[in-house]
Amino acid sequence: MSANGIETNARRVLDRVANARAVGDLVVREAASLSLKAHAGQLEEHKVTSTRVYGVRVVKDDRAGIAYSEADDDAALDSMVDQALVNAKFARVDPNEGVAPGDTALATNDATLSPTDPTPVEAKIDTALTIERELTARDKVRNLPYNGVQDTTATRYVFSTTGRTARSRSRVCSVHAYALASDAGKDALEGVQWHGRRFDDIDTEWIIEETHRRCLAMLDGEAIPSRHYDVLFDAEHQADLFAVFADMFSAKTARDGINPLRDKVGEHVAVEALTVRDAPLDTDGLRYALFDDEGLPTATTNLIDAGVLKTLVHNSATASHFDVPNTGNAERSPRSALGVGLHQLEVAPGGVAETTLTSGEYLEIVDLAGLHSGANTVSGDFSFGAAGFLCRDGQRLRPVRNITVAGNFYDMLNKIDAIGDTLHWNPERSSLMARIRFADVAISG
Amino acid sequence: MLDTRVAQSAIDHAIALGADFAEVFVERNQVNNIATLSSQVRDIASGIDFGVGVRVVYGTNVLYGYTNRTDQEELKRIVSELAAKDRRDPATTSQAFDFRLAPDVHGAERTLAQDAEVGDKVAYLVAADRAARTASNLISQTQGACLQRQQGVEIFNSEGLHIRDTRHYVRASLRAVASNGSEQATGSRNDGGLQGWEIVEALDPAECGAEAARQALVNLSAKPCPSGRMPVVIGNGFGGVIFHEACGHLLETTSVAKQASVFHDQLGEMIATPVVNAVDDGTLVREWGSINIDDEGMATERTQLIKDGKLVNFLADRVGAAQTGLPRTGSGRRQSYQYAPASRMRNTFIEPGDDSFDDMIASIDRGLFASHMGGGSVQPGTGEFNFAVVEGYYVEDGRVRHPVKAATLISTGPDVLRRISMVGRDFALAAGMCGSVSGAVPTTVGQATLKVDDILVGGNA
Repeated sequence: MSANGIETNARRVLDRVANARAVGDLVVREAASLSLKAHAGQLEEHKVTSTRVYGVRVVKDDRAGIAYSEADDDAALDSMVDQALVNAKFARVDPNEGVAPGDTALATNDATLSPTDPTPVEAKIDTALTIERELTARDKVRNLPYNGVQDTTATRYVFSTTGRTARSRSRVCSVHAYALASDAGKDALEGVQWHGRRFDDIDTEWIIEETHRRCLAMLDGEAIPSRHYDVLFDAEHQADLFAVFADMFSAKTARDGINPLRDKVGEHVAVEALTVRDAPLDTDGLRYALFDDEGLPTATTNLIDAGVLKTLVHNSATASHFDVPNTGNAERSPRSALGVGLHQLEVAPGGVAETTLTSGEYLEIVDLAGLHSGANTVSGDFSFGAAGFLCRDGQRLRPVRNITVAGNFYDMLNKIDAIGDTLHWNPERSSLMARIRFADVAISG
Repeated sequence: MLDTRVAQSAIDHAIALGADFAEVFVERNQVNNIATLSSQVRDIASGIDFGVGVRVVYGTNVLYGYTNRTDQEELKRIVSELAAKDRRDPATTSQAFDFRLAPDVHGAERTLAQDAEVGDKVAYLVAADRAARTASNLISQTQGACLQRQQGVEIFNSEGLHIRDTRHYVRASLRAVASNGSEQATGSRNDGGLQGWEIVEALDPAECGAEAARQALVNLSAKPCPSGRMPVVIGNGFGGVIFHEACGHLLETTSVAKQASVFHDQLGEMIATPVVNAVDDGTLVREWGSINIDDEGMATERTQLIKDGKLVNFLADRVGAAQTGLPRTGSGRRQSYQYAPASRMRNTFIEPGDDSFDDMIASIDRGLFASHMGGGSVQPGTGEFNFAVVEGYYVEDGRVRHPVKAATLISTGPDVLRRISMVGRDFALAAGMCGSVSGAVPTTVGQATLKVDDILVGGNA
């Protein structure tokens, strides 16, 4: 369906909302994707998809209700609005939740966020097959149980009864390859992922080489004695760790009484070396966001500045509740209620040189397992399966696996030994962080 | 849900392009989710998911596409695009459809299509909140959820299958937060079944609230968990998640066919101690993981996986069966029309044994009683798993001592199966969601309390 068709449907939906003497907004998500997986020299999965889903939020008599539909005929859209109005009748009264005033029209540049390249589907299939074929031919590699090539173009729209509109189309191409290597009765499953906006940017050779290198490096991994170690996570898993505990920055969980930092704004919550910000407008990141899911413009937000919690992240409802400025962090899928979320998290450089950061003995963690099941975001306690390398002065001494890393994340923010001077994107390019050396972390082997 | 002529046209088109097998899967999924925060409704969301999935198979190569549209042109376009690389002269012919309605053995009564019963569900969650708060003034918050879903599916394939089924799912849960001013801890209670809202007649909101509060208070008083290798007694019910994750996934042809499972060549061999008997059963009436037919249209069944320690069967879907030569087990499942089916578990459990809980604890000098397990994950290739303990107790000198927090169990599926030395009698099942290649599907896990002689415990003491 064309953008005009979606706008016509949006008008129908919002007119029906207004006719019910309610206000509201509509989120529409469209996506078209190609997904390929290879096994034993052939495509194991070849998936072609196209989807569109509408999600309306209505607010009437200070009560909010939501409903969604994957069908977009007139009857389905009308029914969606009616169901949202019914749901609103049961909702709690919340005078803070409404539709933010304003009739701005925001749109991103398709050429920047959704560039086209000349790669035909046959070449994408060849990429998937080549990675699988060449990796399985490598020394000690048994097979490639997890691999895939994806190319997805997604468009999100926001419309509101106040006249606000926002539209953003973005493309993400990605490859992942995880190989199972075996030698002398030992197995290792390791790999890499790559994400970018153009398919012809994919470096197939690097993916093959790096996956193989990581498998061989981990094959002889063994547990180490249980005690406390200094720990450095790689860029991927440091970002994962912050993502698991991202609710610490949420004004919604604070309003709900389950954010342990809810009363800490203005107080030290971390060592002075730590500065954390949300940077939605960094176009190098794949989570770039010109506007949030209320259609409001975003901006860089300092969350922790020199160890002091400066603000939580807000949507219009939480900002109203706490009587603070809205940070433009509304998050809402067509199927969900209004929430808040981070766009692109940054940990600022701490100025410590790499040689100092990696001096002495430390454990470099390159794999974490059980990230969600092993973490309690309310208490901050976590315990994850882990693998990595025991290191000294920047050199890997030996691979380590079958260990657990455990602690309390909120306490760990006050046990940071040093923060590096170089920024690293995680593979998904959703977080840009300097590496952190955490002191005195419990490791069990 | 889909015009038969449209389905026939898409399937005929795939066969004309040389496919060996083609299938159209239609889904209409009605959802109503209620979330409460303490005694107030936080969110109510409802909606309709609707889409059509098209599977085209050349040999054992699966090509899959989906769309929200129902017109013939769109389905044929997807088929053409999928078959672009593999198209060839026709290798077979498609059969005329022979319609059947799947026999329903579960019999939901208070269905979502009849009435979402929002008021009744809210009343249940508010009563559970009240019970949690009555347990202690340290309970600072509760989060309740009631999810109801009615999934209608219609499956057509090139072998003439045309079948419809309707599944009714319901879950109710409460999470309690306990706070002493400086620390917070959580506890929860979950119930669910393959049925309608009549499930409430078997539930007691006071019991739900009290249980969530009890666990939160236990965890608030918990000490850091000692770490290292030690014997662990794993509680019944959701404790079965370890078998599900660490062993069950390795018995699906999804990983067996790729030889990505450590068990792929061990059929008929002893892979566990003789006290271990394991089953995956899709036929249990009204259980959360049950189905009438799988998502390929085959009637489901009970599959014995391990008998007296010996591996006797795998779980196979259509393509997995073709790849391995094993019989199909009615286990082809998918989250929605957005996924091709794959071999998946249903209600998976270790059958009860004859040991007593007291004997298990008495046999331990230093160890852990993991009374309630949380989620976890496993690497099928290596069998390495990790699971969170959401309620655990330190055991010393044959006695349960004090609660511990932030514990994780780390091992491999094959290793833990060989270290199960005692299986109790207090068998129970518990509902959960299982994520894998074909999305998140409802599954039940289960076991009686059992003892693993040696396992790595991660803790921060």
